[in-house]
Parts: sequence; C-alpha cells; structure tokens
Amino acid sequence: MGFSAHGKQCLHPEEALYLMECGNLQVFYQDLPLSIQEGYERFLYSKTMSVQHYQVFGHLKRLGYVVNRFDPSVVPCSSVPSQYERQLNLPQSQDRSGRLPKRKRSHSPTSRHTGTQEGPTSKRMEEEKDCNREEEDKNPDSLPDLSAPDIDEIQTASHVDPTTSTEGGQGRSWWSKEGSPDPDSELPGQPQSSPRWDFSSIPFPDLGSRSWLPSSLTSPDPCLLPGAVGSVGACDVAPWLQRLNLREVRMSRRECERERDRDRYRRDINQDREVRRCRNWAEYQELQGRRIQRSRRDRPTHLWEGPVTPLHDPAQVTSTGELLDKISVIKSTRLLEGASSLKGSEEWRICFNIYQPDTVAEFKKSAPGKPYSRMCVCSFDGPVPDLWTLKLLVFQSGAVPVTYAVVDHGDISFYSFKDFQIPTDTSF
Amino acid sequence: MDSPEQKITKTVSRVTASKESMANSRQVIGINFCGPTPLMWRADDLKSVRELGIIGNLVGSLARQPRQNTRLGRPLELLPEEGRLLADMGRAAVIPDSTNEDPEVEHYHAGLENSFQEQGALALEDRKATLMRVMTEKHNENPGCQEDSDGAVRDRLEALARGFSFPRTAMAVQLCTARAGLSHCPEVRRFLAADWPIPRDERSETRFRVFRDLRRQGFYLTSAGKFGGDFLVYPGDPLRFHAYFIVVCISMDESMPLCDVLAIARLGSNVKKTVLLCSSGGSQEDDGEEVVYTSLQWSGMV
Repeated sequence: MGFSAHGKQCLHPEEALYLMECGNLQVFYQDLPLSIQEGYERFLYSKTMSVQHYQVFGHLKRLGYVVNRFDPSVVPCSSVPSQYERQLNLPQSQDRSGRLPKRKRSHSPTSRHTGTQEGPTSKRMEEEKDCNREEEDKNPDSLPDLSAPDIDEIQTASHVDPTTSTEGGQGRSWWSKEGSPDPDSELPGQPQSSPRWDFSSIPFPDLGSRSWLPSSLTSPDPCLLPGAVGSVGACDVAPWLQRLNLREVRMSRRECERERDRDRYRRDINQDREVRRCRNWAEYQELQGRRIQRSRRDRPTHLWEGPVTPLHDPAQVTSTGELLDKISVIKSTRLLEGASSLKGSEEWRICFNIYQPDTVAEFKKSAPGKPYSRMCVCSFDGPVPDLWTLKLLVFQSGAVPVTYAVVDHGDISFYSFKDFQIPTDTSF
Repeated sequence: MDSPEQKITKTVSRVTASKESMANSRQVIGINFCGPTPLMWRADDLKSVRELGIIGNLVGSLARQPRQNTRLGRPLELLPEEGRLLADMGRAAVIPDSTNEDPEVEHYHAGLENSFQEQGALALEDRKATLMRVMTEKHNENPGCQEDSDGAVRDRLEALARGFSFPRTAMAVQLCTARAGLSHCPEVRRFLAADWPIPRDERSETRFRVFRDLRRQGFYLTSAGKFGGDFLVYPGDPLRFHAYFIVVCISMDESMPLCDVLAIARLGSNVKKTVLLCSSGGSQEDDGEEVVYTSLQWSGMV
C-alpha cells in the first residue's frame, strides 16, 4: 500500500485509516494523534471514498487481499494482455525506454529497405491472386503477364494481348494452347476464351492411392516454386508413407449394410454427367444457376410474385440450422458488443483493483500484474446495474472480471455477472 | 520536552476514553454522522442502545484482533430508522462534527509523559521480579552455597535499578477509538444536539413507520438486504433467535406485479421465513396511524 509522490512516501486515506484500525499507525494532525472516530470523519467524507467504500476496502484487506485504487487511465489495453493475446501466446512487448539491447542488431538489408522490398512482394501476392481469379473470368481485359519470373515488371495494362501471354507461357506444359481468346464473344458454355489448366498433364502427387506407389517424387518445375528457391531435387517418399495410415478398413456386416443404405440416397456429385461436362469453376456455377432457374419455373406465382414471398423454397436444399436461422427473431449477442461507444457514468465506476495475496500470486508495486478482480461498490438502496452499466464497466475493466460489492448497512455481499452463450447444436 | 517523533510506535492499543459511570441510565446517546451514515462510537452508548432494543451493526476492526472479519468492533452503524426512532424517543442526539475545538497539545503531552513514567516503573518492577525468580532458582539448585546470598541479591537489584533505562520507543501508546472532547460529557450533548435529518421520500417514511410499529410490539429488527427485503424481524435478541419474518415495505396504493410477489414468496419459503408485506396508513399524524400487514407463507394443499 502507499505510493511515492514528490519523493515522500504517502498513503491513501483509506489505507491510513485501515492501518490505524489495525494499530500499526498513528496519524498526527495539529500535533495531536487522531482517534479512529476522527479518522473516519476526516478521511471518509468524499464520494470517491465514503464509509461504504471503506467498509469494502477493510473487509477485503482483512481477508488478506491486496487492494489498490482503480485508475481508469491505465487500463485497459496497455499492460494487461487480453485473453485473445494470451491464447496466441505472443511475446510480451517490453518497455524499451530504459533498457539497452544486449546485442547490437546488425543492419540486414531487409530492415533498411523494408519499404521498397515489401512493395514488390506484396504486388506479387496480389498478382498471384489476380491470376487465379482472372483465369476464370470471361473478361481478359486486365489479364496480367503470366510469366512468373518477371513479375516485378508487371504492367497493369488495360488490354494485354493474349497471344503474347500464351507465348510467354510456352515454357510450361500445363497451359493448353487451344483457341485464341476472343474478348467480344459471349460465352454461355463456350469456355474457350481463357487459357485453362490441363489437369491431366499436371502431376499431383497422390501418396495415398493404392494403384501407384512411387518410390520418389520428381522435383517440381522451378517455375512453380517461389523465385529464389530453384530446383529442389527429388523427394524420397518412404518416410511420408510411414506417416500415412494405409491399412484397409474392415467393416462388420452391419456397418457395411449401413453404408450401403446411406449410399443408396447419396448422389456423388462427380458422377453427375452435367457436372462432368463442366471444365472449370465458372461453368459449374452457370450449371447451378441454370438448375435453380429451372426449379423456380415450377413455383406458384401467387406465392412468389407478390411483395411478400415465402421464407424458403422447399425445392432448395438447405440444412436445419439455416432454416432455424431464418425464422429466428432474437439474435444472440455478446456482452462487449457496442461497449466501446459508451461514455462514462457518474453513478457507476470501478473503485478498486483486487490482487490475490502473495502466497497465491506474485504482486510487486512496480509490476502488479493482472488483478484478480475489480470492484464496484453499490448498495441495495440504489438502482440495480442495468445492461448499459454492465457493458460500460466490463469494457472499462478490460480482461479482468468485475465484482459488485453491495453494502447493506454493514453487511457486504459480492455479486458478479458472467457472459454466457447458449450452446448451439453443431449438427444443424 | 520531547517532540512527538514517535510517530509510529511498536505497540499501539486502543482504549475507550470515557470512564463515566453507568448509574445514570437516562443519558443522552450520541450519534455521529459520517456522511449520510449514522455511527456510534462509545462503548457504554452501545450497551444502552442494545438495552433499548436497537441492534445496529458493528463495522470497524476489533481492537484485539484486527485482521479478521468474523467479529468486528466499533463503530456501530445504525439503520436510519433506528437513529430516527432514538431521536424521536429523546434518547439520542446527533452530535455535529466539531472541528473548532482548541487542540489540547500540552494536555496530551503531559498525559504521554505520565504514561511513560508509569510504564518505566512497571517495566523495572517486572525486571526485578524476573531477576528474583532466576536467582532463587539458582539458589535452590545449589543448596550448598549459602554465603551471603541475600546480600548478593540486593546488590544485583540495586545494580539493575541504577542501570535500567526504559527507552521511549518501547512505550505503549493509546490510540483512542472515540474522540475525546466536548462531546465527552453527556450533559453537554443535549446542548450540542443537532436536528435529525428529515427523510425526503415516501419510502423512507413508510419504512420508519413500519419499523416503529414493529419495535413497539417488542420485535427486534435488523436490515435484510441479503434476503430481498427491508427488515428481518426477530422475536428476541438476534443473538438468541432466528428471524421469523422478512419485511417488505410497499406503499398502500402501489401495485405490485405478480412476478415480484411470487419471487419474494419463493425466497421466503426457501429460507423458512414468513414474508410480511407492510404498508402504512395514509394519514400523516404520528399517533393512530395504522400499519397494515399481509403475510405470505408457503402452505401445502389441505
């Protein structure tokens, strides 16, 4: 307890009064020692520290806790890591003001030229993503130059000549070179505009297949790998195979029957002829769209054409969970939602930080650590804390639980509110 | 004159500053307000208040064992209704905080010096007694050497008396619980008494009337926040009985939602107490107004 100010050791009034009551301290005023009664009258007059606050303070101190005043400017984010941060197990950011690093850091080129180097790398990532997206786009207008080693010099030209792109990609075997892209043709099912992946010629290693067990994998094409890696060399397959579980599954007869019954109604999407005819993702989406349109033609107009339509089309496949979400009226919410926008209150405030005694946790004045709880003092005569107050105080407190100490003419009861989520059945 | 350097002494004990006799039972009890809370500080006031049937709640540290919460010491915190009843009965008066008394510094220092002398003398006596005991034990162990043992003892005692010094820092200092001062004498309390603060709202008025009525009937009442009500009613001293009723004060024309009635009835039945819904009659006179009681009790199907 106590703090230093202007080079002197000072005590808060409630701390001084507590020590007086314990018989460890005498406070002199005008050369006379104060009695306990005078201590109460002189120290406990303000709203920050009334008799009720002091009763809670004394009660907790007598139980052995370390009790400090709460300072709202220190909390919430700076010193105490949030629960999410602790889950991630991030290294604690040290206060570097007074500490010199032990080892002088050598200036690596990345640290100096971070700005310039990150530019091209980020551009590279973006272009990779753009590549994959625009592959399937019917519109080849902003097609980037697909020759990977030269990505640093990517032009963002509005129209890239597709012939050059296909020529540029000649070094790789998985681009099929059929047809020149035609930017003007409409393409409902004629997917010839963009170069497509020819999956039959790309060797994807399948270590789990029983038909083909390679002894080693050949090195992939260096153009597939990130720039500076180069050729990797052949990969020995045996240690990887050891990690796989290649045993045959032996099912009992009952299980076999159950599988068969289930499979009777399960339709393998890969066996669907129309789906097999689609050659890329865009075509598949078109097929899905057409199917939905077809099913919609069967809809009764009196239901679907008016201003109020049914919530769900029974022909559509959906899960129970989605249906329940559609008819739900009350959405669940968390306690901290909208809490950051709340302004402070005169009536409700957190008064104390409570730390566990030294035997349980380490407490040092210089490094108190995370409090065990924070205390808000109220009484049964006053209003019950409403949701607004709860959100405000939980937000002010940060990651530390808030306890409400209700003082009833000398009797103290402690209450706390805990956030709770109704468990949802994930099978929906 | 020693300046009061001994700001922190090794042992500090608390003692009441008043030694007035208990003969006069019609003394006025002093109540001090600390903010809005009525507190009582003097031990004999506490005793007389208990005899009047007012219980209150002890909220301070116990002087002998300050670091525990099971038994607390002075001050005694009163319910506002208790204080008002005492004031109405004329048995208690509010003592205002007097900060304009002349600090009696010399008196204090003289008292401190006297105490120091006394303690020094007592310490010396204590040492002598210890020495005597040790020497007689030694004497008993060697019964052979009897030569001039009394003389040796006397010499030792004299040497002790000469060389003994009682350090200031070893002195025990009293830290008073209650304030010594003008309010010390009961006669002056009547003179100093301030008016009891009048409650502003109807709810406190209702509570007070219910309190007074139940007290008149001989029940002892304490606060009942933990039980969801206003008062707990005991047939006798709370140290000897369990509470019989939980009192909930509501105004006569206030409508109570059924959920609240059910909640309080459930609570009462869980703790095996009868719930009393109390309202005071509408009249403003002090005498003759009635308090209406409704009791809720869990009953089986008969």
